[in-house]
Amino acid sequence: MRRLKAIGVLIAAGALAAACSSGSSSPSSSSGKASGPSGVLTIDNESGGTWTCDFNPFNLSYIGYSLGPVYEPLAFVNTLESGKATPWLATSWTWGAGNKTLTFTIRKGVKFSNGNPLTPADVVYTFDLLKAHPTLDINAVWSVLSGVAASGSDQVTMTFKTAAVPYFYYIADQVPIVDQSVWSKVANPVTYSDKNPVGTGAFTTGSSTCTPQNIKYTANPHYWQPGEPKVGTVNYPSFLTNDTANTYLANGQAQWGSQFIPSIAKFYTSKNPDYKYWFPPVANVSMFINLTNPLLKNVAVRQAMAYAINRQQASTIGEYGYEPASNQSGIVTPTFSSWLDTSQAASFGSNYAHSTAKAISILEHAGYKKGSNGIFQTPSGQPLSFTILNNGGFSDWVAAVQTIQSSLKAIGIQVTPENLAATTYQTDLYTGKYQLAYGSETGGPTPYFELRQWLYSANSAPIGTAAGSNFERYSNPATDALINEYGATTSAATQHSIVDQLEKVMLADVPVIPVTESVDWYQYDTGSFTGWVTQSDPYAQPAAYNYPDWGQMLLHLAPAK
Amino acid sequence: MRFVARRLGFFVLTLWVAVTLNFLLPRLMPGNPALAVLGKFKGAVPPQALKALEAQFGLDTHQSLITQYGHYLGDLASGNFGVSLTTEPGTSVSQIVLHAIPWTLGLVGVATVLAFILGTGIGIVGAWRRGGRLDSILPPIFVIMTVIPYFWIGLILILIFGVKLHWLPYFFSYNYTLTPGFTWAFISNVLEHAILPGFTLLITTIGTWILTMRNTMITTLAEDYVRMARAKGLPGHRIMLDYAARNAILPNLTGFAMSLGFVVGGAILIEEVFNYQGVGYLLLQAVNNEDYPLEQALFLLITVAVLVAILLSDIATAVLDPRTRAAR
Repeated sequence: MRRLKAIGVLIAAGALAAACSSGSSSPSSSSGKASGPSGVLTIDNESGGTWTCDFNPFNLSYIGYSLGPVYEPLAFVNTLESGKATPWLATSWTWGAGNKTLTFTIRKGVKFSNGNPLTPADVVYTFDLLKAHPTLDINAVWSVLSGVAASGSDQVTMTFKTAAVPYFYYIADQVPIVDQSVWSKVANPVTYSDKNPVGTGAFTTGSSTCTPQNIKYTANPHYWQPGEPKVGTVNYPSFLTNDTANTYLANGQAQWGSQFIPSIAKFYTSKNPDYKYWFPPVANVSMFINLTNPLLKNVAVRQAMAYAINRQQASTIGEYGYEPASNQSGIVTPTFSSWLDTSQAASFGSNYAHSTAKAISILEHAGYKKGSNGIFQTPSGQPLSFTILNNGGFSDWVAAVQTIQSSLKAIGIQVTPENLAATTYQTDLYTGKYQLAYGSETGGPTPYFELRQWLYSANSAPIGTAAGSNFERYSNPATDALINEYGATTSAATQHSIVDQLEKVMLADVPVIPVTESVDWYQYDTGSFTGWVTQSDPYAQPAAYNYPDWGQMLLHLAPAK
Repeated sequence: MRFVARRLGFFVLTLWVAVTLNFLLPRLMPGNPALAVLGKFKGAVPPQALKALEAQFGLDTHQSLITQYGHYLGDLASGNFGVSLTTEPGTSVSQIVLHAIPWTLGLVGVATVLAFILGTGIGIVGAWRRGGRLDSILPPIFVIMTVIPYFWIGLILILIFGVKLHWLPYFFSYNYTLTPGFTWAFISNVLEHAILPGFTLLITTIGTWILTMRNTMITTLAEDYVRMARAKGLPGHRIMLDYAARNAILPNLTGFAMSLGFVVGGAILIEEVFNYQGVGYLLLQAVNNEDYPLEQALFLLITVAVLVAILLSDIATAVLDPRTRAAR
């Protein structure tokens, strides 16, 4: 889903021609001595701008560069293992009072980089800070919390207004714990730039090691986990464009890539047998259907489109096959395969397997007739002709939408792509000013998060007002009840059964049509470092832009001998 | 004097129009900064964040356009451009621009001046020795260079001298592991990094100067006063420089003044291709992110620079060419 401009193709073609040479320049220097952190790891991720060297972890623009290695959360929730939670700054946690309280036991012996010990009071202070400044509360945890207080000698208890078990992810994994003695002196935490962050993490950085072109992270010698980190220095250069970043990576000047690379086999992996990549799917790229449109209100039209769209073709042609085809259940596979109710999906034409004939017969059954131009019409003569809103900046999406256009044309539905500039696209998508739209959601550590983003009516808004994530404006009290019920349970069996029922909503109502699966872009060099996330050991989301996951990765990585 | 006064009056009027357009245009664009930020995060941001962002950017307070315009003019007068919303949130816009300007002035400015001097020189000599060896080689080559997109030439140079031969660095304005400072190691590194982008700009802009200079020079060489100078038996270089070139350079000078004005706008594509942190790149980012304060400051900077450059070139032309003064 990255931009892929004409220049990109050119430089890719150019560097291909040069592929015979290069592949030199030793990336990291690992000193022979076994003790102490060593080696220089360079991250290659197009940021689209130079660094400001601000690290305020409550600011969306900077959280990605501080949460994980510098600031740490209470727990780590791994999306690639269906939301498995492991201790971080908290050693354990328990739900109580009908899942309306959550008690964390805070780890002892943890020190901030200024030498202050981490105490439960710091955790309470952090959450109170979010309460006092709602603009810092980017995950809206206080929409479900009613209080956070220290209990016992080393515990913090959070009480909830309503049971909201899935918010564990936002509370435990997404909130950076800060030092009260530092932040209580900050006059305005909202505009605070935090040039020299004081965190508990394995790395430190600050104004002395950060320039507009590079953030340099240095191993924290007093880190609380013995023997960690093993990497001495992490460089995070600012890349203005995808093409520069790709060339830099392919030349071996960086070891950890988070890049979309066209023709990755020729451009990257062929350069060195140690260069590997893995693109784990984490969410869906879908066709949103505006349910306020009188023609699209008819479920038959939506079902016909779900059969007509050739998902595999969209994946192969639009996404180089990097992003696999989705399914109508909305479950990202193989990442969340255990959540997919295959028997239920089978009864819906093998999960809406591509079938032009079936699509046409659904439309004919529903009373639509083909006009002289080959386009289906309503009995009153309105043609099934729509525009599809798309982000023109993503050339892969443009290509994918072209395949959708041709496969819908094949069943007699006319679709005209509107490839708009990113900002116009987003405004129209959020405010519902479209008929069909191609776009993606954030997802989360289990399929529930994406299903909730799609289907929960609280995430919707009237046309003209920005919706949070329910862009198609789906609203069904029964579905809302299911979503709320999930929030109240910690039982895996109940969670699975609710997700099964939400999948059924996707299959029967077809409010959105998942087309391809968006992936984490991830390249790595096993010659210089070991301990990478792999398909067989998916201990974290492996793209460097995933926080706090990249902090976990930096704890696993070690210079190769 | 009346000439200068009239020019100044015109300058002030143009400036006001530019300042007003500068206020209106970003607000006429669709979208808002909060949505732009959400788009920037590759979907890594939960939908709940939209409200928090809008509050952070002050988008939830609704002021009338007139009130905003009043504030805007007041802030301009006091030199307060506000803080960046999305590009570098919270940083003062003047500070961001001041950081980027030296890089652009250094790279684009030097390349522009060099291109003008070399191009004009080649144009003069080429026209003087029309059909000579220099005239038949350099102008055609550089004119061809001018019509090739300069970012493409940049990519080719990166490929040859950077990726293949490993002679020159091709990304960044300096090696990011160095600490910036007034040390030889740092300065030489900056210069080394400027070679490829600077050379790209130079060879792609030089052709225009050659072409205009050579053409006006040829017309001028056919003038009676040049013939007169020859008849008087003046030395060739004096005729070439003092009689022909001094008159022929006037259109080029105006063009040069304008392009100096545009220097502060940076060279967007060059800065992007070479990962160079100048004003041009900043401008692109500001527009993409709907960062109103930064956009306004940059557009204003460019407008003012161009207007001042035109004003100066008008005055310079008046000094060099008495005819323009006479014409009312």
